[in-house]
Amino acid sequence: MTTTPAQGAGKIDPVQLAIINNSFVNICREMGITMTRTAFSPIFNEGLDFSCVLFDNRGNMIGQAEFCPAQLAASLFIVRWTVEELGIDSFEPGDVVLHNDPYRGGAHIPEHSVIRPVFYHDELWGFVANVGHLAEIGGKAVGSFAADATEVFQEGLRIPPIKIVSRDENNLDLWRLIMANHRTPRNTWGDINAQIGSLRVAERRLIELLDRYGSQFITNAADELMDYSERWMRAEIEAIPDGKYEFTDYMEDDGVVDQPVKFHVTVTIDGDRMIVDWTGSSPQVRGPINATYGVTSGAVYNAVFHVTDSRIPKNSGAYRPIYIIAPPGTVTNVVYPGPSVGGNTETHPKLVDMVTGALAPVMRDRVAAAEGASACNFLFGGVHPKTGDFYANYHLEGCGWGAKDYDDGNDATIVVNGNCRNTPVEIFETRYPLETVEYSLLTDSGGAGRHRGGLGTRRIMRIGKGAEVTASALFDRTKGEFRAWGLEGGMPGGYGAIRVKRRGDTEFRTFPEVFGTVSASKFTNIVLTEGDEVMLDAPGGGGFGDPRERDRDAVARDVTEGIVSPEAARELYGWSGE
Amino acid sequence: MGHWEPIDTEIWDTVITPCDCCGQVVAKQLWVADVEGTELRFCSERCEELYRTHVVPQRREAAPA
Repeated sequence: MTTTPAQGAGKIDPVQLAIINNSFVNICREMGITMTRTAFSPIFNEGLDFSCVLFDNRGNMIGQAEFCPAQLAASLFIVRWTVEELGIDSFEPGDVVLHNDPYRGGAHIPEHSVIRPVFYHDELWGFVANVGHLAEIGGKAVGSFAADATEVFQEGLRIPPIKIVSRDENNLDLWRLIMANHRTPRNTWGDINAQIGSLRVAERRLIELLDRYGSQFITNAADELMDYSERWMRAEIEAIPDGKYEFTDYMEDDGVVDQPVKFHVTVTIDGDRMIVDWTGSSPQVRGPINATYGVTSGAVYNAVFHVTDSRIPKNSGAYRPIYIIAPPGTVTNVVYPGPSVGGNTETHPKLVDMVTGALAPVMRDRVAAAEGASACNFLFGGVHPKTGDFYANYHLEGCGWGAKDYDDGNDATIVVNGNCRNTPVEIFETRYPLETVEYSLLTDSGGAGRHRGGLGTRRIMRIGKGAEVTASALFDRTKGEFRAWGLEGGMPGGYGAIRVKRRGDTEFRTFPEVFGTVSASKFTNIVLTEGDEVMLDAPGGGGFGDPRERDRDAVARDVTEGIVSPEAARELYGWSGE
Repeated sequence: MGHWEPIDTEIWDTVITPCDCCGQVVAKQLWVADVEGTELRFCSERCEELYRTHVVPQRREAAPA
C-alpha cells in the first residue's frame, strides 16, 4: 500500500522542507539530551520519562522527537489550553509557565509541563515545551502513585498554569510553596530546572533557525509541513475500508473496588477521516485507573501512528483527520475530582491495543496482538540508612509486546505509551538501599503463536541492611481473563504479579495474603524492612496465529534459550523434541 | 448558525467545562449551537459538524424503531 503524497505541493522546495522538518526534530532531540545530562532523578536521566515539543504561535505542534507518545499527544492540549486560558498576550520573553493539572490536558498529575514563549524581534513566534514525569510530588503515597487514591488531592500537589519564571527571574515564592509539598524537594528543584534548561536550549536553536532562514519562511514551512502531514494521514485513512470496527476489553480492577472495568471503542472509517468513539465504556471509577482526555486522545494517536506510515512528519497536521469522542465522567475522560494517576500507565496501553484490535480485521499486516500493557509501577522511598537523606523513586518495568503476522513480539519493553528505558541495576543499587537478587526474562510468559508474544521480566529486590522502605504498586493483568489477548489463534501472554517474601519466609506470597490489601496488584504505603524481598513479574504479550504452525527450528531455539519450557513447547506448540 | 460565548469563572472555580461532542476541556469560550432543538456547547465549529454528521446519525441508528 503506497499512499505517500507529493511533498512540497505548496511553494517551498521539498528539500528545504525536509531540512526544516529535520531541524525541528533535532531541536527537540537536543532538548532531550539537555534533560538527561542535567536532571537529578533517574526517571529522567535513565528512564527518559519526558518529552520535548515545539509549537507555533497559534498552538499548532510543529515538531517533536522520539519521546513518550502519551506526553507528546497530551502536549497538544496542554499548550493550546494553557495559552487559551492565560491569554496569548500574557506571555513575555523569558517566562516559563508550569502546570500539571490532569483536567487541563495533562496525562496524569506527576506529569509536569513547562512552557516558554519564543519571541523573535519582539514578536511572539511560538512556544517550546517540555513534559516530564516528576518522581515525587507529594500526596498520600511515597512516589506519588497512590494505587488506592479516590480523588486527585491524594495523588499529589495539583498546579494550574502558573508563571514559575517571569522574564527569566525565578518566582521563588512559588518554588518554595511547591517544594514544601514534595518529599524530595532537592530533586524537584533539579528536575524542573533541567526541564527549564531544555527550553532555553530550544529557544536558542529556534532563534538560530529563524536568523538563518527568516521568520516568515519558517512559519510558511511549518504550515506546509502540517498540510503535508495531513494529506498523508488522510491518504492512509482513505486506504482503510470504510466501516465501523468495535472492540471491548477490561482491566482487572481499579485498585479500590475489586471488580473488572469495561472499555469499549468504535472506530469509524468515513472516507479520509477516522472517528474513534469511546461511548459504552464504564462510568468513571473510584480508583485511579481513569484516563484523562489527554491520555485517551494520546492512546488513539499512538495507535494510529502504529498502523500508518512511520515517515509521516509528526505535527498537528497529522492529527487533523482523527476525531475523538471521550464522554466526560467515564473511564476514558475523568472529571474533577476523580483520580487518574494509573490511567496514563495502565489504561493508555490497553486503549492503544483496543484501537488496533478493532482495526485488525482490515489491517492484519500492520497490527499486533495485545502487549503486557502494565508499566508495573513500583514506588518506594524512605530514609537511606547510609546517607540519612530521604529518597523516593518511581520504577517501571518492561513487559512483553504482542506478536505480529510477520514477527515475534518484543521482549522486556516499556509499555507502548512510553519510549522509556528500564533503570540499570547499578544505578538502583548506588542510589537506593535495595539489592537486586534476580533480573531475568520470564520463561513461557510470551503468548504462544505462529509468532510468539514477547517475554515479560522477573525482578527480585531485597531490602538492604538497616533500611525501611515504604512501597506502593500499580500493576494490571495479574489474574483471571485479563491477560494480553492473542490474534488469529495466538494465545494470551503470561500474567504479571507482585509478591513479597518477608525475612525468614521460604516462599513469595501475594500482598493481600501478607498485608491484607484489597487488590493484589494495586496498593499503597506498605512498609518493608531489612531482608524482605519483592518479586516483580511483568506480563507477556499475546501471540499471533496458531502455535502449531510455528517454524520448528524457532520452537527448538526457544527451548534451547529458555524462552519456552520443554513442557509448554510440547503442549502448546506440538513440539516433539527432547 | 452557532455563536461563541465566553465562559465566566470565579478564581476559585475548579470544575472545567467539557465539549458536548468530543468531551475535551473548553478553556475560555464555547461554540454554542442549536442541534435539533437542543442548545449544545462545543469546543469548536469542527465539533458541531462532527456532532451533526456522526453523533446524531449514530443515535438515530441506535434508537429503538
